[in-house]
Amino acid sequence: MLDNVISTLENCRFCLMCRHVAPVGMVTNQEAYTPHGMALLVTSQQRGLATWNAETVGIVFSEVDGGNSRTHCATDQPFEEALAAVRAELVVQGLAGTAVTQLHTHLTQWHNPYQPQLPQSATGAGQVALFAGDEAAYLWPETIPAVLKLLSAVGMEVVVGGYGRNNGLFAHSAGFPDLAAQLWQATLDELASVGAKQLLLLSAGDFYAFNDRRGGFSRPVSASAKVSPPDFIEVTDLLAERLAAGEIAFRKTEDETPWTYVDPTHAVRVPERHERVRGLVTAVMPTPPRELFWRKERAQPVGSTYIQFSSPALAERLTRARLQDAQASGAQLLICEDPATLHHLNRYAGEYGLRVQGLYELLAQRVIGHQ
Amino acid sequence: MTTLQHEMIRSELEEVVGKEYISTRESDRLVYATDWFWLPQMWLDRGAQPTLPDFIVHPGTAVEIAEILKIANTYRIPVVPWGGGSGSQGGAAPVFGGIMLDVKRLNRILEIDETSLTVTAEAGINGSVLEWALNEKGLTLPHYAASANCATLGGYLAPRGSGTISTKYGKAEDMVLNMQIVLPTGEIIRTPIVPDHAGGPDYFHLFLGSEGTFGVITEATMQVDYLPAARLLRAVLFQNLGHALGAGRQLMTRRLSPFVIRLYDPASTATQVKKVLGYEMDGAYMVMGFDGDPDIAALQEQKSLEICLALGGQDLGREPGEKWWDHRYHFYYPPNGLHFPWMYGTTETVTTFDKLEKLYWAQKRAVEETYADWNVNYIGHFSHWFHWGASLYSRFIIPEPPQEAEEAIRLHNRIWNTAITAVLENGGMINEHHGVGLKLSRFMRRQYGPAWPMLERIKKTLDPNGIMNPGKVGF
Repeated sequence: MLDNVISTLENCRFCLMCRHVAPVGMVTNQEAYTPHGMALLVTSQQRGLATWNAETVGIVFSEVDGGNSRTHCATDQPFEEALAAVRAELVVQGLAGTAVTQLHTHLTQWHNPYQPQLPQSATGAGQVALFAGDEAAYLWPETIPAVLKLLSAVGMEVVVGGYGRNNGLFAHSAGFPDLAAQLWQATLDELASVGAKQLLLLSAGDFYAFNDRRGGFSRPVSASAKVSPPDFIEVTDLLAERLAAGEIAFRKTEDETPWTYVDPTHAVRVPERHERVRGLVTAVMPTPPRELFWRKERAQPVGSTYIQFSSPALAERLTRARLQDAQASGAQLLICEDPATLHHLNRYAGEYGLRVQGLYELLAQRVIGHQ
Repeated sequence: MTTLQHEMIRSELEEVVGKEYISTRESDRLVYATDWFWLPQMWLDRGAQPTLPDFIVHPGTAVEIAEILKIANTYRIPVVPWGGGSGSQGGAAPVFGGIMLDVKRLNRILEIDETSLTVTAEAGINGSVLEWALNEKGLTLPHYAASANCATLGGYLAPRGSGTISTKYGKAEDMVLNMQIVLPTGEIIRTPIVPDHAGGPDYFHLFLGSEGTFGVITEATMQVDYLPAARLLRAVLFQNLGHALGAGRQLMTRRLSPFVIRLYDPASTATQVKKVLGYEMDGAYMVMGFDGDPDIAALQEQKSLEICLALGGQDLGREPGEKWWDHRYHFYYPPNGLHFPWMYGTTETVTTFDKLEKLYWAQKRAVEETYADWNVNYIGHFSHWFHWGASLYSRFIIPEPPQEAEEAIRLHNRIWNTAITAVLENGGMINEHHGVGLKLSRFMRRQYGPAWPMLERIKKTLDPNGIMNPGKVGF
């Protein structure tokens, strides 16, 4: 099953050029947690030099998902695809650990890993829908009313869909491509049922899942697609455009707490988004930001990827690394729009004397001419 | 090593660094079994079990390293310093097992002095991360190694590395002012604050090029520069390699300060340049670059171009130079770089201008004629230029080497014998910037002749039990 990705693994085995951005490798300083180390492990297993056991399988399921490495790859190797394929192979062989299996069960049964509840079906009809997802629904619920208020301020009434459903990335990363495709397809089917032609997305991760991975979770998806995928746009992009066009405006806050913007998990996968979203934040903040070192093109994830389930201790280290970066910048207030990033930062922020603020809520509080 | 010894050592190491910073996991031992040296990589590629380190230890301070070395002396077990593992010479391969000392936790920037233009950092900091931090202040460490994304500061210094722009800014060893070093017997020393003085013998440079055999570099203060306001690149094509070398010599001896001269021989031009940059050309492709104040850089470029044109060069303009700059590291990484199942080696050397072209032809002839039956390819480029000479970065490639690992090693070593003999007989050094490691260790005695026993005595004095990186650099 690895035939399609073996050349990538062999190339990554001989290359070390993404170590400087490989998230888990950076927080552990261990070679095994880099694409090079992981590719060497897999190719060595194929040569009979390593065996699959709890330790080695655990290593394979401890890398995030290869996104940062792919973004910075010197020769554009699709390591993320190779990694997903290796995990899928381990899943098929029944070697994935209990945590991964449980994640599969939850995603299959409830379409999300957080709550034993099925997604709420979209009601009404409209050409524009907002994908609420599971992270906004269960991790940072203040997001959705704030976004609806902001959209209303620019004259958009939207249908909320996918409330409580994962965008498919967890399943994809963990080695369940068919399940990932099912989740993705379920949202598109729901949109079709309400007549939506455009899908608004709350985070870089959602945008990546829907826009860049469309049909890519599993080959059968595009063949069985019941609707053409709609246009996808991040809410932050839409608001930034409307702000630039003068169609929305904000009052600056009077809070001069030193602040920073945290580029969320998966942000590096969406080119140039970092400038657009910063334009929004500076519209409401009265002082310049304290920038993180790991920002923009070199932004690093918090522990909000699927390794929060497979390797929670590593996920925590990723989050703490971002908080330490923020602390070193002198910031006391961390602003971000991604519900999952906010949730994970907020879990430990107090230990560092930091406060976390959702960008959508902040914008909704400061929007001019809208009650 | 007996199980009892293993557990004794492990428990003592745990007392120093803590349990979480020691690994004996199968996956870790495998990943740390080889650096980029072809030989151990081939061994792995053929499915043969490599020599594994017994322990991978991640110290967080120089004091911890000192304590680890004391334990290693007690048990007489090898210690191999490991930074990024990007070396091509086997310098970080644990050929006798022992402790793999991964220094990447020593990754703090301690000071950026914007008056003296220096940065002091721990030796395990990643090269690109350090560069990003300097760039935030408009500064740069002008050691642009192709391995920067994975290599560490200590790894720049230990093998006396050169970066892409060394022709103007020097080798890594030219940028370092002082270092903190843990000696093999556990003493922590700091070299004098500056390297250029008359305060007695210069022991500072002993540690540069020692590749961990004389101690562990744990901290360094490096000279940095302002990011240049302009960076001008252009390419010139020569039909005659000798004329191209003459042009490069004039650029250097007339001190026109190119930050790079990269001259590909016709074989490299026809293969590497075509593959990575997409240019199909006959001849020797040369890229030259000038940086700094725009008007000064432009004048240097103009004068240099005049020299090239007078020697028969054809100006290709800026785009082929800038494209090379943008893709300069792509020559080294998959799928463009060297790869298996090939047998390959980079037999880079350095010598003075009077010997340079002769050495090139002598090595090329020796390798191509001796191994013609193996369809060997010999390619080379000239880089890392000095006022007195330049480096020849030459490579042999055998597309279809013996499949049997032991036979492949024999052929590999025979080719190296041939290539290095050609170097030594024509006035070259066995290496310019990759270091010695395991690969060239056996040539050190020939290189240094009567001076070699002196180096051996120094080694014995510093490392009486021979624990530090055994089998490397001739020791």
